[in-house]
Amino acid sequence: MERTELVIVSGFALALDRRYHAETHMWVLLTEPDRVRIGMDPLGIETSGTLAQLSFDPVGSELTAGRPFGQLEAAKFVGPLVSPVSGTVLAVNDAAAVDAGLTERDPYGSGWLIEASLSDATGELQGLLENAAEITTWFTAKLADYRRMGVIAQ
Amino acid sequence: MSAAWRLLADDGAGAAEGLALDEALMGRYARGEPDRPPTLRLYSYRNHCALVGRYQSLAAEVDLAACRRTGTEVSRRLTGGGAIVMGSGQLGIAYVDRAPAGQRPREIIENFSAALAAGLARLGIVASFHGKNDLEVGGRKIAGLGLYVDPRDAMLFHASVLGDLDVEFMLQVLQIPAAKLADRAAAAVAERLTTVTAETGRSHDAATLRPAIASGFAAAFGVVMEPGVPDESELERADWLATERYRSQSWLSERNVAGDAGGSAVIKTPAGLARIYLTTSGDLVKSAVMAGDYNVLPPAVVAMEAGLRWRRLDEEVIAAVVADSKVAEALGVPAERIVAAVREAGCDALRRAQVEPAGVEGQRPVSEPS
Repeated sequence: MERTELVIVSGFALALDRRYHAETHMWVLLTEPDRVRIGMDPLGIETSGTLAQLSFDPVGSELTAGRPFGQLEAAKFVGPLVSPVSGTVLAVNDAAAVDAGLTERDPYGSGWLIEASLSDATGELQGLLENAAEITTWFTAKLADYRRMGVIAQ
Repeated sequence: MSAAWRLLADDGAGAAEGLALDEALMGRYARGEPDRPPTLRLYSYRNHCALVGRYQSLAAEVDLAACRRTGTEVSRRLTGGGAIVMGSGQLGIAYVDRAPAGQRPREIIENFSAALAAGLARLGIVASFHGKNDLEVGGRKIAGLGLYVDPRDAMLFHASVLGDLDVEFMLQVLQIPAAKLADRAAAAVAERLTTVTAETGRSHDAATLRPAIASGFAAAFGVVMEPGVPDESELERADWLATERYRSQSWLSERNVAGDAGGSAVIKTPAGLARIYLTTSGDLVKSAVMAGDYNVLPPAVVAMEAGLRWRRLDEEVIAAVVADSKVAEALGVPAERIVAAVREAGCDALRRAQVEPAGVEGQRPVSEPS
């Protein structure tokens, strides 16, 4: 996969070559017309707490938008990894399951979570943030909110 | 008119029964269940219960032989965090509701920490929460907390408030390497914990804490508390969960992929030898204790321990924590020596994890205390 071009927003890296689900902070990268790679953006990671462990539903599992595809353990938090799209799990990142730090260090690259085929490529992808300007605006606003609330350090 | 929450109060829960009722209550808030007001349960366990965090190894964290000997029940929480001893001196808190859409875990935890601090403020205690650590008073833990969201969006916030604590007993039943090996074991642990009793100078237990904590939550969230009891279906579900989950061998034997491991290293200081103990999961530090023959525990040591928690064992990260804490100046030791010792303790933990990898450790069958 090509090296990801990143912009830095107030100290946090943001990749503009993919789509984002605003509520869950999951990114979706189209790798083929009906196949995506899914990961978590740095704000999603930071607001979960330091990641201790990631686990994923097995390859072949059905994926439903808004429903879990795995679980994360972080400082003070255990909870679901929520899918931004529907489809079928085609691959899971075993390296991230063994070392959750990989997802913190390289959230847009080697720290990806799962790959999936899409059951509704046009419909669900349209509901995600896609335009670089709107992604940057959303990310900047969320970062400011989290800093104001004290859940991310100033 | 303020919204009303259901307030439950009970005492003397068994390890499995206490956790099972929390989960049964949480289940009523899952996606697809009818909307209902949140429930706040303020309760205590019977003397005594040892509860490990969601991904801890029971055999590594709890001295099971000591538990059998002392009649201490054991179980595993849904929430993460470390092993704790619960009894009449500690107040258990379980808040259950539908997970709020759009709120991040740390936002939710911040809000509950503020409510808990508001409750303690009613007792004259100023407690603060610093993101990755516990609720603290002057750098000492007074309450532990954790958040769990289930696959159906039901949420459980757990906390335990130390009304009082028998540190010697805790050291008997929990495996705390830093404490077991230190010369002043109880003192080393006691220096890092505090209780409502110690802070107020008046004897406190779960029962005396309950009104203050309920009041703090009510004020923080702008709600009124309506005392209630669990309904029949919740109690039936709790009975089932106690048997099928919280007493089951498969649940008690779980642990994470990386497996928590402990390691240590010695540091020479002008005042004598100190030892740094780390509990790690992979390259992540879950806890750090630097035990030494201090007359008074230096605040810089506490700051370094807190700074290392939930950080990766990366040389730059460790060096930054050591520098920020000013522990080198406080102990009169070059910072590089402390950084090297922390790394050595981490390597020791890694070696031990490799010797006893996840899933093949000596997991002894756990039977209920007779």
